[in-house]
Amino acid sequence: MILEMNNIKKSFGSLEVLKDISLSVDKGEVVSIIGPSGSGKSTLLRCATFLETIDSGEVLYLGKAAVTTQDGKAEYVAPAELRKMRSCYGLVFQQFNLFPHYTVLKNIIDAPINVHKRPKAEVIAEAKALLEKMGLGDKADAYPCQLSGGQQQRVAIARALAMKPDILFFDEPTSALDPELTGEVLKVIKQLAEDNMTMVVVTHEMPFARAVSDRVIFMAEGVIVEQGHPEEVFGNPKEERTRQFLQNYQN
Amino acid sequence: MTLMTMIIKMSEGLGKTCAIFFLTLLFSLPLGMIVALLRMSKNRIISNIVRFFISILRGTPLMLQLLAVTYGPYYLFGLSVSRNKLIPVVVAFAINYAAYFAEIYRGGIESIPIGQYEAATVLGYSKFQTFFKIILPQVVKRILPSVTNEVITLVKDTSIAFTVSYQEMFTIGKQIANSQTSFTPFVVAGVFYFIFNAVVDFVMGKFEKRLDYYR
Amino acid sequence: MKKIIAIALALILMLSLCACGAKEAPAAETKTFIMGIDAEYPPFSYIDDEGNYGGFDVEICRAACEKLGWNFEVFGVNWDEKLVQLDAMECDCIWSGMTILDSMKEAGYVLSAPYYDSTQVLLVKADSGYTSSADLAGKLVAVQLGTSGESLLNGDLADLAATFEDVITCDSFLKCFTELDGNAVDAVFVDLPVATSYAAENEGFVIINENLGAEQYGIAFRSGDAELCAAMEGAVAELVADGTYAKIAENYPDIINNLIFLGQ
Repeated sequence: MILEMNNIKKSFGSLEVLKDISLSVDKGEVVSIIGPSGSGKSTLLRCATFLETIDSGEVLYLGKAAVTTQDGKAEYVAPAELRKMRSCYGLVFQQFNLFPHYTVLKNIIDAPINVHKRPKAEVIAEAKALLEKMGLGDKADAYPCQLSGGQQQRVAIARALAMKPDILFFDEPTSALDPELTGEVLKVIKQLAEDNMTMVVVTHEMPFARAVSDRVIFMAEGVIVEQGHPEEVFGNPKEERTRQFLQNYQN
Repeated sequence: MTLMTMIIKMSEGLGKTCAIFFLTLLFSLPLGMIVALLRMSKNRIISNIVRFFISILRGTPLMLQLLAVTYGPYYLFGLSVSRNKLIPVVVAFAINYAAYFAEIYRGGIESIPIGQYEAATVLGYSKFQTFFKIILPQVVKRILPSVTNEVITLVKDTSIAFTVSYQEMFTIGKQIANSQTSFTPFVVAGVFYFIFNAVVDFVMGKFEKRLDYYR
Repeated sequence: MKKIIAIALALILMLSLCACGAKEAPAAETKTFIMGIDAEYPPFSYIDDEGNYGGFDVEICRAACEKLGWNFEVFGVNWDEKLVQLDAMECDCIWSGMTILDSMKEAGYVLSAPYYDSTQVLLVKADSGYTSSADLAGKLVAVQLGTSGESLLNGDLADLAATFEDVITCDSFLKCFTELDGNAVDAVFVDLPVATSYAAENEGFVIINENLGAEQYGIAFRSGDAELCAAMEGAVAELVADGTYAKIAENYPDIINNLIFLGQ
């Protein structure tokens, strides 16, 4: 197991966003999370990446606990431990969140060099190979503002990959893009799936989810309503709530 | 007195005007950052105390603050008044300008999208690295026009030092104006300040241009 | 005949018009005289404990205006800009222990006959041990910006000023004295009456017994206001003649000995 999340509960004030959710992801598995907005999909990712703290439950990476719950209260490991565990995963944001004052190359290599303290030459060579793979071989010296949204998102993916994560999270990676630019990003994710990258993708792109996922999770109102093989969930949903959602979506 | 003599006499005070200007910037720019960070402290007591002081410093005239710093210790505790007036002048100016810079910095820091912090956190940057490598350079670019404004104001504010009898350019100008019963020294002073600020404008413009490579 | 009537009518009309105009002249508003002072220059002009303008010059001017039947107003000028403010019609004269300078005459201002003979002195701390201007060689001396003391140090007494470490110009006497009391300067170069009244009210100060440059005080009017100056001088002369002047002066023992009109 790369990631294990058990009995996660999270509230914002009186609003219960995650109601006892459990999720585990195997090595090489591609999991898509779909569901209406406000269902808690993004919050689940943010809890998995420690951008939000959970109220109770457990999060484990590679079998090592980052959060445990004692007497109903979540307890995180020491901040230094937590920082180390961040190298297990990468996160691609909806808004890309590239560093605007760095070139494309510097965006990718800065963290490996300054956080992981890896040799510069090696990191640069890898970064260039990654850019090549993303179809951005000629953009190394450009600044993010000179790129299209699709190109920026591909740089963000390269930046996450340069950290050599065990698992990569995508938080609605194409939602901020113009429709004609989503294809180039989805293509890259598909390619990563073929390379056996472990991934969790929160998305509204149903055909894409159906095509690349090993497992699809349908979330609504803070719970997992249904999950299974994409053909099952999309082709023959068991739950009424799922059926409704997919129907609305097709319209 | 010829115009030339006036200009020469007044430029003797220009060194002191520059001393106020550069020393004030030297101390207030970093001090403002410390104040800004304290102002944004999660500790309510600290942030409220700092907020209170900022409101006093921004809400009262610099001239009064300068008088308070120079003569306050004497009136309150009977301490000696400083013989070298550059010290109280720079102290008062640096504190006052730090308050203004602090609010500019705070505005700049708060305008950086939260996503920048989150991206840095996820990539494993420490808080220190996040602030100095990711946030601060972007803040500098955003606040540069406001800082330029303050720096230009500072050039003109140096003339306030005359209230504590610091013999900078404007004080000398006033002296000449009096003894000669002439308005010309004020015109000369105006030209001096204008040239000074033209240089400031040029230099700050260069800085802004240098940061123009990204948006 | 018709012509005569027409001319007569025209004359009557003109006369009646003239009569109306002539009648209106005395009904014009009483003149208001605005006295320009430095409100921080006791005992000549200052704001008293009740917040009213007071001082020797203010009292004399008020009495003179009464004599002339004018309304009296006081305007506090910024001392080092006083002549600019006078020219800007913000006041009608500068009358506030003001030293008559040659430069003012050259600039065309109308100046009254001097009424006060002032002397510049050095005020020092009693425990400093300074007894002559020579003792202040290499020391710091403060002087108020725009006073006769300042112009003396830049002019006739420049040689003396050169022996000081430096001359500090303050924008008010309060600051000069604060600098002295706070040990930031070693002496204040100031008009004798000001030094006398300060030393009388505050302990620990002495005046170095050395007269440095005699000065004369007068009243400055705008160029072209010679008539106004003459009217005011006339009114003051009346005050001197009827004893009011001396009576007012009795309240100002510090300066009474320097008043020129009383010595005559």
